[in-house]
Amino acid sequence: MKFAGLFALLFLILSCSTNKPEPRVWQTIEQTLQTQLITLQDGDTLFLPEGNFMFSKGLAMDGKSNVTIRGKGMDKTILSFKNQTEGAQGLLITNGKNITLEEFSIEDAKGDNLKVSEVSGITLRKIRSVWADGPKTENGAYALYPVLCKHVLIDECIAMGSSDAGIYVGQSDSVVIRNSKAYWNVAGIESENSRWVEIYGNEAYENTGGILIFDLPGLTQYGHTTKVYNNNIHHNNHDNFAMKGNIVASIPPGTGVMILATHNLELTGNEIIDNKTVGTGIISYELVAALNEGETEQEASIGGVQTVANNFRADSLYNPFPYGIYIHNNKYQNSRWFPALGHDIGKLFFMKSFMNPPDIAYDGIEDPARPEREICVQQGDEVILINLDAANDFENLKKDPHQFDCEGKSISK
Amino acid sequence: MMKPLAVIALIILSACQSKKPDVVVLPEEIPAIDLTHLGKAQLSEYGFFQQPIKDLNPVAGVIPYTLNAVLFTDYAYKKRFIKIPEGTTVAYNAHDVFEFPVGTILIKNFYYPADFNNPTENLRLLETRLLINEAEGWKALPYIWNEAQTDAFLNVAGKTIPVSWKHTDGQLRNINYTIPNLNQCKGCHLRGDKVMPIGPAARQLNGDFDYAAGKQNQLIHWQASGVLSGLPKIESVDKLVSYDDKTSSVSARARAWLEINCAHCHRADGPAKNSGLYLLASETTPARLGIGKAPVAAGKGSGGLLYGIVPGKPDASILQYRIESVDPGVMMPELGRSITHTEGVALVRQWIMEMK
Repeated sequence: MKFAGLFALLFLILSCSTNKPEPRVWQTIEQTLQTQLITLQDGDTLFLPEGNFMFSKGLAMDGKSNVTIRGKGMDKTILSFKNQTEGAQGLLITNGKNITLEEFSIEDAKGDNLKVSEVSGITLRKIRSVWADGPKTENGAYALYPVLCKHVLIDECIAMGSSDAGIYVGQSDSVVIRNSKAYWNVAGIESENSRWVEIYGNEAYENTGGILIFDLPGLTQYGHTTKVYNNNIHHNNHDNFAMKGNIVASIPPGTGVMILATHNLELTGNEIIDNKTVGTGIISYELVAALNEGETEQEASIGGVQTVANNFRADSLYNPFPYGIYIHNNKYQNSRWFPALGHDIGKLFFMKSFMNPPDIAYDGIEDPARPEREICVQQGDEVILINLDAANDFENLKKDPHQFDCEGKSISK
Repeated sequence: MMKPLAVIALIILSACQSKKPDVVVLPEEIPAIDLTHLGKAQLSEYGFFQQPIKDLNPVAGVIPYTLNAVLFTDYAYKKRFIKIPEGTTVAYNAHDVFEFPVGTILIKNFYYPADFNNPTENLRLLETRLLINEAEGWKALPYIWNEAQTDAFLNVAGKTIPVSWKHTDGQLRNINYTIPNLNQCKGCHLRGDKVMPIGPAARQLNGDFDYAAGKQNQLIHWQASGVLSGLPKIESVDKLVSYDDKTSSVSARARAWLEINCAHCHRADGPAKNSGLYLLASETTPARLGIGKAPVAAGKGSGGLLYGIVPGKPDASILQYRIESVDPGVMMPELGRSITHTEGVALVRQWIMEMK
């Protein structure tokens, strides 16, 4: 009897401790830290202490030069914006020069976790930026988001849970994204309307799309000159959880690399493995507009926008067609038989390349102004390379590993 | 032996079942931080107002003014003043914010009357924002009023203050009013990499003010009192409509509302230029206004919609969705409000509805 009682007690203690973990304790340094971010002098280093810190508002730093913000490590200094009621970003850095952020984590902002705008010289090193509950449509768009910047270095960072892109660089110049990890985002790494970009040594996995190089119309600048090399881009088969309307919402699950409407790009030395729908897609903005129009037509309630989806044609500075693309010496492998069947492009590949989704697909929409597009693919005899001829209802769709066999332009550093 | 065991078991059980929160957030211990290198510690030190300063009765040389279209900040009332150094004048500019002499101070006080149907009594001052034009450029300084309403104190980190008032409809309203931090002040006031005033341009000041000596056009008053130089014939001066003025067209009123609430960021040289959405009332390119424009970096802010504005369809327009939202990750403007400007969003809705 006595033993039974003790046994029951032990059981209670055990069940208690397993069911009810101690609550995570968060400290508050909101007023102090925000004041420091304002009073910081040029040339200072701000040391963030070890600990879990909860914020109710976004933090902002503006107009500083030669400043470093350093935590005690991405597992030790955690800034959480889970209780945020105001401000659209977690941490916002604007209008500075030579700013370094390193060795801390940012979690759960209502909008973007870390946005850096109009800074010349921004280094993000060993920053982990995540939505801790994993992929959700309600998560913020970007985990790491330099925009309108120059001299960007993103090194050994981690991005997870973004409802748009994990590591996103927009309208920026001289960008290096390296040795970082992006997973469980819609887009793992995305370079948009940026120039002189190097993306290497990264692992992009279990996103909807691994690495995207995009050029979009109507913006402050257009991108070119990108080298994507020695990355491990695998198993990017996650459901697309982006909010509709955003360009990434049209990425089919199972996309390794997507090249949209940009030029002067080299893709080499990458492992592009088990991305079920397409290893690498090369598409024009014409195709995006056509898909958008299709969607608009389906929603008969929205009228009068067929013409407006063609706004990009009015932008004389924008070239919707990719050219100068050189793909060589990558390792393509796909053990999957079925592309994403819930998606138009996936269905298309299923029909046109039965049980054998393409390693590389090119939409084949011709640019009337530039018949010679300098699209070169040298990937040997085994690669599944499709030219879709999308403009002519896939009439002259062509599968031939050597159809773009030419030596393209290497991009030297 | 059984009895104590049972008691212990009970204690453990009740401890188990007592509701533990998932997270515990400890309060902040705020150390005193010296801000004197930024600006004066107290508003009273500037000597803008006669005592008691909460009445906001300006001393000589501090001139009250108003704007035709005003930014919505949770229905807060505002009283604006300008002080320029003696012997200097403001240079007229037909299209942009005036060029103010170094030493100019723009003073903007935010307050709530207890009853909006009686807006001159029982006022509660919350904050006073200063824009000071120094040799190096404009500087923004936020001062927060104390509860006793005897003075306001420099605070750069911002604050949240619960506020309640009886609205014009007689309903009691409760909000958490947010005073922005200093960088957030700059966030709206940045043009390129310089802090600039937003309001005091010819088209915003071109309207009457009730001066002690009677009603007069503000620009004429400024010119007559030697504050402003270079004012052309008043008939030739552009005028932004008041969005409350029901005699103006819906389109003009909606564009005025969008300009003052959005265009400080959404313009070619503003912080939101990366979006490609420009909302100055002078913008004429449909795609830049958002018409048929796909979002660029909206994330969940798209609300699942495809275009900024779909003519005739406010509920299919991202712009309408975002100005109506109060979710910090969705709403526009990003800062300065916690509730929706019912009248303003209704106006924009009507504008989109009537758009062909």
